[in-house]
Amino acid sequence: MQEYSSQAAYDRGEAVCVIGAGASGLIAVKNLRENGFEVDCYERDTVLGGLWNPQNQHSPLYPNTHLVTSRSQTEIPDFPMPDDWPDYPSAAQMLTYLTSYAKHFGLSEHIWYGSEISHVEPVDGSRFEVVVKPAAGNAARRLRYAAVIIATGHHWSPNLPSYPGLDQFRGTVLHSSQLKDPSRLRGKHVLVIGGGNSGADIACEAAVNAASCVHSVRRGSRHLPKYLGGEPADYALARLNSRPKFLRRFLTDRLLKGPESLAARMGVTAESRPSEEEPVRNGRYMEHVGDGSIQRRGEVARFDGFDVSFADGTEMRPDLTVLATGYRPKFTSVEPRLLGIEGDSPYPNLYARMFSPRKETLAVAGLVEPGVGVLPIVHWQTHAIAHWLLVRKSDPERAANFRLQVRSESEQDAGEPAGTSPRHRLAVDAEVYLASLGRIIDTLEQEPAK
Amino acid sequence: MSLAAWVRRARTPAPAPVKREYAFFEPADLFDMDIKDDPEASPVLCCTGDPAGAAAFNALWLKRIATSGRYAAAVSVRGQGGTPIAEGGLEARAHDIVQAAVTVPRQAVLIGHKEGAAWAALAAGRYPAAGLVLVSPQKVPKQPPTPVGNPSVLLVVAESETQTKETQAVADAYGIAPLTFAGSPDDVFKGAGAEGLLDAILSWLASKKD
Repeated sequence: MQEYSSQAAYDRGEAVCVIGAGASGLIAVKNLRENGFEVDCYERDTVLGGLWNPQNQHSPLYPNTHLVTSRSQTEIPDFPMPDDWPDYPSAAQMLTYLTSYAKHFGLSEHIWYGSEISHVEPVDGSRFEVVVKPAAGNAARRLRYAAVIIATGHHWSPNLPSYPGLDQFRGTVLHSSQLKDPSRLRGKHVLVIGGGNSGADIACEAAVNAASCVHSVRRGSRHLPKYLGGEPADYALARLNSRPKFLRRFLTDRLLKGPESLAARMGVTAESRPSEEEPVRNGRYMEHVGDGSIQRRGEVARFDGFDVSFADGTEMRPDLTVLATGYRPKFTSVEPRLLGIEGDSPYPNLYARMFSPRKETLAVAGLVEPGVGVLPIVHWQTHAIAHWLLVRKSDPERAANFRLQVRSESEQDAGEPAGTSPRHRLAVDAEVYLASLGRIIDTLEQEPAK
Repeated sequence: MSLAAWVRRARTPAPAPVKREYAFFEPADLFDMDIKDDPEASPVLCCTGDPAGAAAFNALWLKRIATSGRYAAAVSVRGQGGTPIAEGGLEARAHDIVQAAVTVPRQAVLIGHKEGAAWAALAAGRYPAAGLVLVSPQKVPKQPPTPVGNPSVLLVVAESETQTKETQAVADAYGIAPLTFAGSPDDVFKGAGAEGLLDAILSWLASKKD
């Protein structure tokens, strides 16, 4: 590969570079290909499927991971999951699904595995120079692309909290992504820290496997069971949005009354209004709290030798501590400024949550937590990005107008208050965001004036 | 498929799942040294309004399509052939076609015959088919959805049908001119007319750049 290792960059012309071959990356590749783009997709790992593939070294899967959103709300709009699958497919089924998606649309031939992007640099105007570092010792390659889509996801860089004494703690502490095997919980006294979806799921897993399980949460959160009124909960709630507006509130309250009073009985209170943050979706959690196999405690105050003290003064000696404290978004290859990352916050500030505020041909796919499945959202995002790149090429005037529209859409979005936890910085109201995406796509798909 | 159409569909109850009858024939199944599987050629998925469903294509179609190096499949929608009857109308049948299409190994060309053409047309509005072939279409909605991913569309009708309103409406909806074949629209599964029809479809598929 002498020609690549030289200093001169290999120009890929109008081709687009997609970073990451997880769910978002695959959808991006497929939608760009469908719109006639040449695509090179780079995957740091040697397998596709991103977070859903347990062979991925950054996989966040924990024992018995299942979807928290139901099949009909999670499947890619133009490639449905088999209709004989359960309502909440497992991680293994998700991987099967993504693999068959890649195979069906012939995406693998566009993916370069074991190729980490070490640097993305804007060059002459709107193009990008991408430095690809292969895993196996070859010289880095430099390539030039017309556009770059970042689909690296936000569930691979663990968010590790600091507690007094945690460094000197003598017990075992694992992040949820390091747990992997459920047998590690068996017969142990387990402390699970973190009240999100992973925390609740792992606490339930420990409730049936471990000798005892203490679940430490810093604050209250909204809990939803996986089924409401005989239907998958997200589907049942989304369906109410097609009802007349004056009925919606009433119907939603009626549907949520049971789960809410149960949560109140178990001492789990939400601190925010329903729409503000993504709920914890778990049907078994409350029952385990109810039968005592999960004991809820407040925040951990400090770690001390083998012991853990809580803010309420109680103490325990766990055999295993699981930090289900989630992930932080992390962008390794792109200059943070291009994504609108300012100050210490790792959270980018994008137009319509996908377009870079600085560069017209840089976009991020899948950096949202919409409370419904992310895959359909990514499908429409990448659909919009592909159409945007087409419009930009063919009609600069419309492109400029479009840019203004996107900017005003994102300003409306920014007016809303941020959620109570940093995690919810990525949360969007699916209803609002989809409507905004719909407007963006409509503008882009309008017939150009001939 | 537009975003609004997807939102609407995601919020309506999905059709009851059925175990669909699915017949397929690969080039390798022919045991013929001269016929090579063409990895570049799109697979083909057929459906028909005929109550026999997938079985109707066994006589000639599947083997003949496989001879051209393509993976050939046919599906029976609910109530046809070996697929049990289940609730649901046009939409549910289109759902059956989409579900069958995603199990085909690669992006498939949809071929629909008679009412099957209507289901295939609806399915192409939800699944990015590699191509859409409508043979003597019947009961196609007045405004069929725009096919996802801009596939080429072929309309083939019997000589007796060329002037019917049905044919004109479909031709106008897709902005294409119909191709004609000799014979009766009900007699497409075997006989000389069927061979001619298949040849026409296969040569169109071969000429189409996909």
